[in-house]
This record gives sequence, C-alpha cells and structure tokens, in this order.
Amino acid sequence: MSGVALVRALREPGTVAKLDAAGWTALIAAARAERLIGTLAFRIDEAMTPAAVRPILADARVDADREARQALWEADRAAEALGAPVLLLKGTAYVAAGLAAGEGRFIGDLDILVPRQMMNQVENILNAAGWEWVKQDAYDDAYYRQWMHELPPMIHRERDRMIDVHHTILPLTARQRPDAEAMLMDAVSITERLSVLSPEDMVCHSVAHLLADGDLAGGLRNLWDIHCLLDRVDAARLAERAKRHGIGKHVAQAQRLAAALYGGQGAPLTLWDRVIVWRLLARDGWGRETRKLLRFGFYLRSHWLRMPPLMLARHLFTKWRKGHRPI
Amino acid sequence: MTAERRYHQDCNAALRELEDITLLYHRASGQTHMVISPVPEILEALGDRPATATEVHARLERRYDLGEPEQVIAEIEAHLAGLVALGVVRGA
Amino acid sequence: MRHQLSLKIGPASFRIGSAWREPIELLTKLYADYPQTSDEVSDFTVRLEPTSLLRRWVRPSIFITGDHGLADAAPMSLSHGLLAAEMGMNLQMALGWRRHLLLHASSVEKDGRALVMTGESGSGKSTLAAQLGERGWRLMGDEFALLDLVTGAVFPFPRLVSLKNGAIDVIAGEAPAERMGPLLAGTAKGDIRHLAPRADAVTRMEEGVRPALLLFPRFGHAEAVRLVGQGEVFMRLTQASTNYVALGEAGFGALTRFVQDVPARAIDFPSGEAAIALVERLWEELG
Repeated sequence: MSGVALVRALREPGTVAKLDAAGWTALIAAARAERLIGTLAFRIDEAMTPAAVRPILADARVDADREARQALWEADRAAEALGAPVLLLKGTAYVAAGLAAGEGRFIGDLDILVPRQMMNQVENILNAAGWEWVKQDAYDDAYYRQWMHELPPMIHRERDRMIDVHHTILPLTARQRPDAEAMLMDAVSITERLSVLSPEDMVCHSVAHLLADGDLAGGLRNLWDIHCLLDRVDAARLAERAKRHGIGKHVAQAQRLAAALYGGQGAPLTLWDRVIVWRLLARDGWGRETRKLLRFGFYLRSHWLRMPPLMLARHLFTKWRKGHRPI
Repeated sequence: MTAERRYHQDCNAALRELEDITLLYHRASGQTHMVISPVPEILEALGDRPATATEVHARLERRYDLGEPEQVIAEIEAHLAGLVALGVVRGA
Repeated sequence: MRHQLSLKIGPASFRIGSAWREPIELLTKLYADYPQTSDEVSDFTVRLEPTSLLRRWVRPSIFITGDHGLADAAPMSLSHGLLAAEMGMNLQMALGWRRHLLLHASSVEKDGRALVMTGESGSGKSTLAAQLGERGWRLMGDEFALLDLVTGAVFPFPRLVSLKNGAIDVIAGEAPAERMGPLLAGTAKGDIRHLAPRADAVTRMEEGVRPALLLFPRFGHAEAVRLVGQGEVFMRLTQASTNYVALGEAGFGALTRFVQDVPARAIDFPSGEAAIALVERLWEELG
C-alpha cells in the first residue's frame, strides 16, 4: 500500500533507507500522484537515496523552486495591478512567508482574499490588467457568483496563469459561517505589498478546504500542510478562532488526522476518522486511486456539505447532462 | 511641474545578443523577451543606479549620437513604461 | 497492473503497466535489444488503463496515463495499444523530463556530429531521420532531441520511429521486416507503423555529440534552401520545446548557445530522395 509508504516516508524520512528499487519506484509514483514529490524531495536527505533516485528528486526540487518563483511573481503582478497590499492564501502564502509548509509545494493558482464589498472593483481592475475569465457557461457563472466563496476563475491573457479571488473561505451555501472580516483584520504583513493570514487562521483555512469541503482529493497533501502549520499556532487561540469560524469540530478532527498520519500528539481516532484515513491512503504502487466506490461516496458528500439537498439535485443533474462525470 | 519618475531594474536580467535581436531572460518572472535597440542600451544605461528618463538619456548621450533631446527623452520614457509593464523595470 | 515491462531509452527509464497483454508483448518484441530495467528504479511510470470497468472487455478502450497525464486524453482502441504505449512514454518525457532541454526534433549522427531536424507533423523530419538511419547515419531519435544543459551536446532518445501513411512503404522497402511493427490502421493521424532503430542506434544510445547543423524540413514543395536568422530560429525552437519554460535560466542558456553555435537552414523538397541529396550536400558544406 503505497499511500502508507508515502506517509511513513514523510513522517520518518530515515525509513526510506530500507526501500529496494521496486519500493522506490512505487513510492515515487504515489508521491507524484498525491503531488507530494516536491515535499518528499525536501524531506529526504540525498545521502539516504540510491544513485538512480537522486536525479528524480533533484528534478522535483528544481520544479518546486520554479513553482515558488512563478507563484511569487503572480503575487507581485496582482499587487502591482491592485495597487494595494494583497492577502495571499494557500501555497503562495506559505512560500511568500518562508514557511515549512511551502517547502517543495506544488502551487496551482494564485489565491487571494479580499473584502466582499470590494469584489466588483477587484474584478474590474484585474480585467483591465490582463486577466480574463476562464470560459464558463452561464449556469456555472451564475452559480459561482451567487453561491461560491470566490469569483469564477480568471486567467492572465499573456502569462496563462490563474487567479482565484476569494471573499471568504467556504461557499455561502455551506452550513459553517467563517468570519472573513476577522481574518482580514488579523492578517499579518510580510512585505510592503503582501500579507498572509494569522497562523491560526491559516490552519482554519486549510482545514476548511480539506474537511468542510468534503471531497478529500489531495487530502494527504492538505494534511501535510496542516501538520506543518500546526507547529506555529497557539493552541488556545486556535481553538477560539476555530469556534469563531464555526469549524471547531473540523479543526479538532484535522488535528487528530494530521497527528495520526504525520506524527505528533494526537487524540484517538473516531470511527469516521478511520474511514477518512482509509480513503486518504487509497493509492497503490502504480499511482492509481483504489477504493473507487468510497471515492464516489466522498464526492457526493462534498457536494452535500456545500449545498442544500434540492440545490444539490438540480446542480448534479445539470452537470450530468453536460457530460461531467465524477472521477 | 510633477517630479520625473525614477526607474530601476527589477533584478538582474540575463541578456544574450543574437545576430538580429537581443534576448532577455527575466529571472523573477521566468519570462524570456525578445528586444531590439534601444532597449538593451537603455537597460545598460540604467544599470543598477536608479534614474529618470532624462538621466538615462544623459548616460546614453555620452556613447551614442541621439538627436533631438526632447523627443528622444519621451521615447526613452515610453520604453521604460513598457519595461515596467513587463516587470523588468520598476518605478522607484 | 496485470502486465508490465521496464525498459530504458537513452537516459530515461520507463515502467509500463497495461491492463492488457498485447501492447506489452509488442513492446517486448520491438524493444528486445534495449536495456531491460525491471530491477532498477524507473524514472517514469506509464499506465494503459481501461476507460471504464466495462471497456476492459467490451470494445476495449485505453486511457493513457501515468505519472504525468492529460485529463482530456482521447481514448484509444486496444488495436492501437502499441501506439498508446509510445504516446504514454512521450507524454512522460514531454511533461516531466528536466535533465536536458527537449526539442521536438529528429536527430542523426555522422562523424561525431549531430544533424537536428525540427518541424511540424508532416514536415518529413521523422521519415528523413529513418532513411538516413538506414544509410550510414546513426539514428539518435525521431521525436525528441535532448540538449545537454551544460555542454550543449545532443543526446539520443532512440525510441521506435513512428512512420505515417506514405512513409510506411518507403521505409518498409529499406528496412528488414523484423524491425517493423504491425500496421496500425485508422489512427487519428492515419496509418502508422513503427520501426525499431538499427542495432548501432541502440548500443550507442548513451553517446551524445556536438550539434553541427539545424534544418527546418518541409516535404512536398519545390526544392529550396533558405538561411534562417537566429531570432527566428530561437522563436521556432522555443515553440518546439516542451520544457524550455520549466528549465528557467538553464534552458535559456542552453537554447541561446545552440542558436548561436549551430547554423540553420530551411529546406523544401519534393521527395525523400531529393531530401537526402540536399541533406548530404548541406552537411558537406556546413556540418
């Protein structure tokens, strides 16, 4: 079970010394599939690896460095366009702030948080500065604007990179109600033009993304982020913050899961926790996701969490008609 | 009269001269640009000392025969603005 | 995965898994002389998977994936499984290789120097390389030329040559049958047959050489030779490279050095024979 091997390699890097060639190939395939190969490359000491593995991990570090540089450039361009400090979220934030969570991390889009009342203005400024809408049909567009926690995705005309503008951290249709204003107020400045969430809010955001979102795709990576971010928080403040955002139970669960997978003090897992772990580790030595039925169950649950039942039925029906299939 | 804008190079760019054009690799963005005169010369004149368009003009004048100053300075300003849009140069 | 094969092509090793036996069998036969690497760590994993549970058995349909994949990859029929495996390996290289600058180009070697040919599908670069490879040149590759980031040498990636439509008969006439793969009719690009490179191409697949001439071939036009300016060469090569951007400054350095050091010509030709004569002449002059 390569999901298990991957988690073990991250938790105790020294254990890779026992891997044979087949074990390494399987570990690398699983790590790539979980988008954790960069993280792995930074965790493992080169001296512990056979000669054939070194160029593979070296390439992963090259990719991670480039990703970081491009991500910071996108943040710079956004700040330049908006002419004001930009609050970064997720991977770009970790890298900009030099956090352990940013080491070797894959960064997809630029994610920023802006006050809800500024969304229109921000949208217009970005449009003028060369970002355009990723083509969507009218239904998705309306759904996004009305219910989601972010603008529909935009992509830069020349640089071909995406930006996601959030006004809160969970969709408006979710049952939890995070306090976005509090997050903005407590943001921490890291340069003149860039700021990030407070350490406790960073954990909350990452948890919201993982568990309240429900899909669990990319969960191993998300929990690694959380594991790294938990190192920086004050426990009492985190609990208070989590309660404020209405995700106290989810944060506690994430703490249990992160500890179970990646080490550290952790409360015993509940039955549901164990199902989630089982789902998260469902990756074989070829990089394939196994336990498919369970995956579909999680996909449904993810949408259920985000939307009231009637909306869910209508949304899924429309998507089904248009040819989307849950993977 | 408003003060003239000062410019400085964002960070080092790697330049390579080909027969017909000059290539510019901008490290911070990872982008490659193809540029022709007078852009390489302007960047060289800018160097690592922040300057206004007028000062850049003065530095260039010492090496090249440039023509009518007012017009040339306006052109230099325009090129610098273009380079700012790319991120290769910043307003100081 | 039920069936698998591990092999090395040039500097890259692949673990190829398949839900079906046939593609692996074909690969094993055509790549028989290549290093088999099942006891070693593989650089890449390729997977030929059924597009759905049912399609493993009923009208079998292959979804090509692996470490690197494209979510919208078109499924392929099992009868084209060999092509699917080749495409899978190409995909890993194109998206994941970082140890050389990749140029979408064919290359052949003579007298310790490389001729590199780049152009779009149908330009004739693959056929020309295959023909030269059967006539005294060492075939280095028909799909990717690998440029060393430090030394500027070109390294081989001698996978099976992919011959399309008209080129099939031409090469089949020149190469022995045991090095030809089965006819794959009706693929997205027409009829395809694969050619396994000659023995010397395989045994010398770790040898890189200095590039001496770059050609932009164009099949099906009146014979012509045109000098190509360095600016144009650079631009066309960045478009022909899948990893130029990913390599950052190292890629910039390697590609600019190549453009500055290697003379370039655009050549048009009406036929394979004309092309070969043109190539030999230019090589004499510039190579």
